Amino acid sequence: MTGAAGPATTDPAGRARTAAALQSALAAENAAIYGYGVAGAQLGTAARAQALRDWTQHEVARDQLQAMLTSLGVKPVAAQPAYRLPFPVHGTRAAISLAGYLENQVAAAYLGIVALDDSRLRTWGAGQARACALRATTWLGRTVAFPGLAPGAGPATARPSASP
Amino acid sequence: MRADLRRRSVLAAAVMTVPLVAAGCKGVGALGTPPEPGPDVAMLRGAIGTEQALIARYRSAMAGSPALSGTLGPLLAQHREHLARLTSMLIEPAGHSASPDTTPSAAGTAAAGAGPAATLAALEAAEADAARSLASRLTLAPPALAQLMASIAASEASHALLLRTHQAGG
Repeated sequence: MTGAAGPATTDPAGRARTAAALQSALAAENAAIYGYGVAGAQLGTAARAQALRDWTQHEVARDQLQAMLTSLGVKPVAAQPAYRLPFPVHGTRAAISLAGYLENQVAAAYLGIVALDDSRLRTWGAGQARACALRATTWLGRTVAFPGLAPGAGPATARPSASP
Repeated sequence: MRADLRRRSVLAAAVMTVPLVAAGCKGVGALGTPPEPGPDVAMLRGAIGTEQALIARYRSAMAGSPALSGTLGPLLAQHREHLARLTSMLIEPAGHSASPDTTPSAAGTAAAGAGPAATLAALEAAEADAARSLASRLTLAPPALAQLMASIAASEASHALLLRTHQAGG
């Protein structure tokens, strides 16, 4: 529970900002966990084992975020029953693209935590964004200049869309 | 279509909300005493220097091992993007040069003459160092700069991973 020791925010506005950033990250993790399930179903044995490892890491992070929110006295957002995928996922290539896409979305949400004042949360968020970038590179075999950031400026959209 | 529209509107919002980091602006010297640069300006200059050194290293490595250009070219391009984005956050009074891209660097010439495997290993170590250095300093930065530093650190950590993969793959 690296970063879950407790956000030491005292002022109400700071607490609200912290809670919002943690909730966004949790929502992104929930979507990624769903998405890895979709991707895993399209993958062969070796890649599916990797998807399972990454899926587990996202579950660990989700549990940490839930614990951090609970310690703030905030009810963690629940996972949606289903999420709209950013593109149709049929076959290995699309499944791998989805994994890369999900990692960038989750990285964007963690950069929201990096913008908080709490230095422990910042460091933890940066470590999580780094882990996302490493997983994306493992899937895609390439790197990007700004994981989690839009190419122009500012964080990429962090909220994967839930199905209506 | 809808996703595209949404992305565009998010981008537009992001552009508007990115704060200017440096104290002062271009031409302020004509109006009076330029303000003292803040600690975040020093941090930004440090990050810019690191990117310039990495760019010099990559150029030297590609000159010494042209066969590695396919591997190293995209990574070099991403370092140029890092440098451009960091430099765009640095607004200094006239007379300061924010991006002397041509600065020769001792580190940049060190890799010349080494074999491809040693070159990849040296670059991997340099990337890992750069990522660690950014990650260790981002707690002191203003929020927008901290996010940029975290993103660049993540990019450089993934560069190190890719370079390690290429060594293992021969």
